[in-house]
Amino acid sequence: MRLFIVVALLLLSCNNQKSGEIMVDATASEIVQKVASFEGEKPVLVNFWATWCIPCVEEFPYIMELKEKYDDEFELIFVSGDFTDAKEEAKQFLKTQEVDFTTYYKIGNDNEFITTISDTWSGALPYTVIYGKDGTVSAEWEGKQEFDVFEEELLRAINEG
Amino acid sequence: MKIIRITLAIVLSLLVMDASAFQIKEMAIGSKAPMVDHKMQDVSGRSISLGEVAQENGLLVIFSCNTCPWVMRWEDRYGDVSQMARANNIGMIALNPNEDYRNRGDGMDDMIKHARKADYDFPYVLDKDHLVADAFGASRTPHVYLFNGDMELVYVGAIDDNANDASSVKDYYIKDAMDQLISGQKLSRPNTKSLGCTIKRVS
Repeated sequence: MRLFIVVALLLLSCNNQKSGEIMVDATASEIVQKVASFEGEKPVLVNFWATWCIPCVEEFPYIMELKEKYDDEFELIFVSGDFTDAKEEAKQFLKTQEVDFTTYYKIGNDNEFITTISDTWSGALPYTVIYGKDGTVSAEWEGKQEFDVFEEELLRAINEG
Repeated sequence: MKIIRITLAIVLSLLVMDASAFQIKEMAIGSKAPMVDHKMQDVSGRSISLGEVAQENGLLVIFSCNTCPWVMRWEDRYGDVSQMARANNIGMIALNPNEDYRNRGDGMDDMIKHARKADYDFPYVLDKDHLVADAFGASRTPHVYLFNGDMELVYVGAIDDNANDASSVKDYYIKDAMDQLISGQKLSRPNTKSLGCTIKRVS
């Protein structure tokens, strides 16, 4: 199992490096493995969003602000749930938000994707989950939140250290 | 009576909220439909309740809206679902719970236009203050609930497995659920999930 995870992560990172793209396709298992790769190192904030989702677009700058403020202290993973015909629009949006790191684009069946990511996520967007340094869920919520809530929950995960 | 209903809805919503997770908890399979006598205004001006829409074999409730791109993608199947429900003596109703968007495309005037444009042949009602959505633990649009003739929840989740393209659907969840309900079988897949828009609640 450990070997499988390592190989999958290598493939994912090779894919990122090769494409040099701002957004690369990822299954739910790949996202889960990506999160697991930071276990014992630092907390991870994963935000599932889409360009068609107004609350997602509204809260996106808050998350980028957190990235700027606490860059070394946590890992940020964005996963787009955009329709395939809006993929380019999503990439453009990422550029306007000055995202200069690899983000992910959800592929695969919704039901399997959502249940693989979390038992408690209903599928509503936006969805944010913060994993502590120990890899367990420190906080999660559906819907838009204000910057203060993001920061408070992220700091809780960072300080749980 | 109205105060009692509102109080009941608030209590129900508090019961289904998991404060630590900021998430709404969905009704469990087997639960009785709540607020069946609660009247809501539909796009024709009538005031109707879930209990009045239910038929002999059950009730199909879709939390929907005018503004969610996922609803717009799936909406081309609402007509088929409605036809199947009607043919099987299952009532169907769509509720718009987006209280925070009443001035952003989800008000009654917009609902009337939307229902006309999309040829809705089932009641489309305004779920004022998302009381029913809270009682159901509905989180997103579209979010589908199917009840049997005893008004017990037998299926909750998505319409099918492909919002993007009706012709590429592999699993037609809600049609399978209705088929199994009508033929008296235990539902093989009572819960499914799909991406969707959060219900725009007011705090």
